[in-house]
Amino acid sequence: MSGGPPKALQSTGPHSLRDMPHPLAGSSSEEAVGGDSTPSPDLLMTRSFGDKDLILPNGGTPADTSSPASSSSLLNRLQLDDDIDGETRDLFVTVDDPKKHVCTMETYITYRITTKSTRVEFDLPEYSVRRRYQDFDWLRNKLEESQPTHLIPPLPEKFVVKGVVDRFSEEFVETRRKALDKFLKRITDHPVLSFNEHLSVFLTAKDLNVYKKQGMALLTRVGESVKHVTGGYKLRSRPLEFAAIGEYLDTFALKLGTIDRIAQRIIKEEIEYLVELREYGPVYSTWSALEGELTEPLEGVSACIGNCSTALEELTDDMTEDFLPVLREYILYSDSMKSVLKKRDQVQAEYEAKLEAVALRKEDRPKVPADVEKCQDRMECFNADLKADMERWQNNKRQDFRQLLMGMADKNIQYYEKCLMAWESIIPLLQEKPDAKKKSQCLDEPSR
Amino acid sequence: MTENNFSLKKIEISVSEAEKRTGRNAMNMQETYTAYLIETRSVENIDGQSVLTDSLWRRYSEFELLRNYLLVYYPHIVVPPLPEKRAEFVWHKLSADNMDPDFVERRRIGLENFLLRVSSHPILCRDKIFYLFLTQEGNWKETVNETGFQLKADSRLKALNATFRVKNPDKRFTDLKHYSDELQSIISHLLRVRARVADRLYGVYKVHGNYGRVFSEWSAIEKEMGDGLQSAGHHMDVYASSIDDILEDEEHYADQLKEYLFYTEALRAVCRKHELMQYDLEMAAQDLASKKQQCEELATGTVRTFSLKGMTTKLFGQETPEQREARIKVLEEQISEGEQYLKSKNLEGREFLKNAWADIERFKEQKNHDLKEALISYAVMQISMCKKGIQVWTNAKECFSKM
Repeated sequence: MSGGPPKALQSTGPHSLRDMPHPLAGSSSEEAVGGDSTPSPDLLMTRSFGDKDLILPNGGTPADTSSPASSSSLLNRLQLDDDIDGETRDLFVTVDDPKKHVCTMETYITYRITTKSTRVEFDLPEYSVRRRYQDFDWLRNKLEESQPTHLIPPLPEKFVVKGVVDRFSEEFVETRRKALDKFLKRITDHPVLSFNEHLSVFLTAKDLNVYKKQGMALLTRVGESVKHVTGGYKLRSRPLEFAAIGEYLDTFALKLGTIDRIAQRIIKEEIEYLVELREYGPVYSTWSALEGELTEPLEGVSACIGNCSTALEELTDDMTEDFLPVLREYILYSDSMKSVLKKRDQVQAEYEAKLEAVALRKEDRPKVPADVEKCQDRMECFNADLKADMERWQNNKRQDFRQLLMGMADKNIQYYEKCLMAWESIIPLLQEKPDAKKKSQCLDEPSR
Repeated sequence: MTENNFSLKKIEISVSEAEKRTGRNAMNMQETYTAYLIETRSVENIDGQSVLTDSLWRRYSEFELLRNYLLVYYPHIVVPPLPEKRAEFVWHKLSADNMDPDFVERRRIGLENFLLRVSSHPILCRDKIFYLFLTQEGNWKETVNETGFQLKADSRLKALNATFRVKNPDKRFTDLKHYSDELQSIISHLLRVRARVADRLYGVYKVHGNYGRVFSEWSAIEKEMGDGLQSAGHHMDVYASSIDDILEDEEHYADQLKEYLFYTEALRAVCRKHELMQYDLEMAAQDLASKKQQCEELATGTVRTFSLKGMTTKLFGQETPEQREARIKVLEEQISEGEQYLKSKNLEGREFLKNAWADIERFKEQKNHDLKEALISYAVMQISMCKKGIQVWTNAKECFSKM
């Protein structure tokens, strides 16, 4: 998960920049980087590769060297790997501050999207807009359309069964907000998706509806071509690595589904346990009213059980709000990934079919027609993008699950620690010897 | 049966074994029952070593016989209760079968506890029948029955009648009876809910075992995450299986509560005895008063109250002065007897009150002490459970961190 609150915008990340010689040495950037101004040949090469996929709104080149901010943003773009620590990132997005809007036709929630960036595509360093779920859905669809060779992160579930879940309850809204925040952070972490035109508009436009209506369809070259891939071709043989990914995703989704069911079952059992505890504690209280010397010990036990009940309730709430939604997100994620894999298969199938058709037409054998070459190009691009995204996805998945499961363990530890504290604190109370005064009082049972 | 200087204070009693037996019952039908081995050791003064002095086998029904005997001969004592005859307040995993080894084991402990309670009671420990119970295997039943204690027992009906009709029972005993009733109701409720709590807790722990399996399956398709998942899954299995021991320990707490639940019956028995004695006293006093009244009427010739004699006199004619004299004499004798009777009953009643109340005070102290100890051990159990939970989840967390 990409780093929390937006950081300050100056030259990002001390570590990696200091290690790298700055290709566009300027006096101000020297301080940030450490003075060596020889451009590294590697950086120059990767820079040209980066150009191919980037489309910038103002049509300018990445090499705007007038300010240190833009030089560091160049470096960021040139670094293809995700910097998990966020130390060389130049785009920070947060989703927060949900607000309810009541209109005549409908009631809905909007979320504030705060963007901080040093990138040139953004006219301002900071933006704050309000968006509702519909807008996120629109963005995701646009991303799928325009970047079909990439894995687009999932959104939290769209439909909510009315009456079962209160879609304006604090817990639901907060769970959704977290998921939407995660969604945007995953996109802004992605080296290709984060530069998508639709994303920029989503983050900056005052009125998104106007933009939606204009129907600006800025697709990448690849996107455009993939859109027109016809289905109906049969795939000869899936390359091993993609077959493996497919199998992996199948088993992965299956296991996640099982874990989701287990987690739900645990929560259900815990809630039933809680119901019994809530009856159990007060019985000690009733008993204590009947007794003399045992009044305080029994009352203490009652209060203790009450505290444990509260701790248990907190545990079940946390698991419901933080654990289950993330699991479900990943199930949705793997579903959408499977459809991207299918699309890839189609692209390959089309290429293979066209190639075969050409092979049969013996006259054209020495020269491969342009459209077959285009197909091959398309397929290879797709394969490369998908491979890169899968690697990124695997890494992020590992981070996410590590955090999720550690979080689950943590919550359970905290629950037991709260209970432990409650029980340890009443031991002295239970061991207390009644003083002489108390003793003479309790020789008579309290009168009924 | 109580005049015996035999003191069991330096004796150790244990119910050390339980054994399944088959035999023939009173109706000559084959039956299976459990016999318990009672061992008595006397503790040598010098070096604290104990020597086995007696060892015999008894079954539950013999314990019952002993207790019923003690109830009759010591009505002013709060007689310790026996462990339950049939398993009650069970949560689903526990067996309600009397032959189940866990039940038998808990009963063995309960019977041992009963014997220890009796032997540590300042009055009960001196009873001969109790001594024989520990030392004379054969013929003990006959010996007990020879005391004729069953005949001496108050009839239930008589006791019930007294409870309803008594006019001036001692307030302390009325309060005690209310307390017993309330305590019985509360502890029953507590045990029922505790059993449900145990059931639910069992469910929570056991479902976690499923994580073990699925993490293992998942780890098979993962590269870097695999080891962490696999080892975490193992800890989930440990967690799931830890609940069995935890709940077994908790049964001991439930047994301690049960003992006091059954003690309420013993308390009520003492209250009933008081009511019965008080009722007898009131009836005797009433009887005496009416006889005195009759006597007075005969002597003065006035008929103030309705009497059968008065009616028959009206119908059949007056009686002769000789007849009247004779009747007055009889009445005077009866009155004299009655007064003696009342005096002794009064004395009896006061003795009973004194002795019973002394034992009740002893019981209260014992109860407060024991229940506090029970609560402490319950808290200690909970603390241990929490610590185990923290340990397991910390281990799991470490495994997850290595993913």
